Amino acid sequence: MTTPNRLEPPDGRRRVVITVLTVVALVGMSGCARSGDTVDVRLSIVVADNQIRAEGVECAGARPYEYVHAGARFTLESEDGTELAEGELPAGRAENADPSIDWGVERIPTFCVVEVYLPGTPEHPGYQLRLEGGRPLQFAASLISEDEPVRLTVQ
Amino acid sequence: MVDRASSLRRVVLLTLVAVALAAGCTSSDSSNDDNSRESYGGAADLPGPLPQGVDFRKPPRSALIAPDFSVDLLDGTPVTGDDLWDDRPLVVVFTASWCDTCAGVHREVAGVVDEHDGAIGLLGMVREDDAEDARDYAQNLQLGYPIAVGDENVWLNYAADEPPLVVLIAHGGKVLRGWPGDIEAGDLAEELEGLFRGPAERDE
Repeated sequence: MTTPNRLEPPDGRRRVVITVLTVVALVGMSGCARSGDTVDVRLSIVVADNQIRAEGVECAGARPYEYVHAGARFTLESEDGTELAEGELPAGRAENADPSIDWGVERIPTFCVVEVYLPGTPEHPGYQLRLEGGRPLQFAASLISEDEPVRLTVQ
Repeated sequence: MVDRASSLRRVVLLTLVAVALAAGCTSSDSSNDDNSRESYGGAADLPGPLPQGVDFRKPPRSALIAPDFSVDLLDGTPVTGDDLWDDRPLVVVFTASWCDTCAGVHREVAGVVDEHDGAIGLLGMVREDDAEDARDYAQNLQLGYPIAVGDENVWLNYAADEPPLVVLIAHGGKVLRGWPGDIEAGDLAEELEGLFRGPAERDE
């Protein structure tokens, strides 16, 4: 009768167990790393002010959204209010308020759209963008994609 | 001999001191001049007397009366709309320190107004919350025209929802035209040209 040698190379079953454990360990580690993961957040802040402008011109929010303008301070917070990023808004660009209508004139009803890019933002299930003078604009992390910016409407 | 040399030295010394003091005074004067131009958009930029021989057309009867306003210039000098359009037409540029388009429009309008050698007034108008930054704006532009801080009502009365907005007010105080957004310099120049009465009209 032979006693199994502990230094013996693992048989097939043991190899499977080791592989599974390794995978579980890796997944677990990656789970821990996720908590410190970042995401690139692209936002389109849409000021639905219906202001008459030429499409594409530089703009700021018209009354009563005059607090949305180039240089205005903003902060991005997690859903629990932790500040994640801050900065100053760039100037906006006028977008046709209703592309289904052929206005037939140069100056048309528009929205002022301000683009904000926040690379390396810590990952959270939800966010809120705060602009001085306005209500917080909330959005879920699930809306963030590489293809399209998250559209946040100020109205 | 020693006394002579010593008194000569004293004279030379006193002369040098006098020259140094005079130079000091001169340099201090010139630095004061510079300092006075460190502030733009204030009382120093208000228009002088109306040039001689200038006469203006009457505005159309249908033109709306311009809402008067009492505002402070960037240096705190109080002015009213009526003071400014009493004897000559006034162009008001509703603007903001953070707005690049506004700065371009303001500069363009000032260029057109300059052509009339003081016969047309120009007033920049910023919002109350922009008063501090507007000083840098005025300093950067150095247009040589006053800039006022207008409260909410001034902006509301002129339907200035978003800067830039250019408003042309006839002498006496009637609104002739407004240009929201960008402005064509040629368009404004034509409007301003049309404000003056020629000699033939004066004879009528």
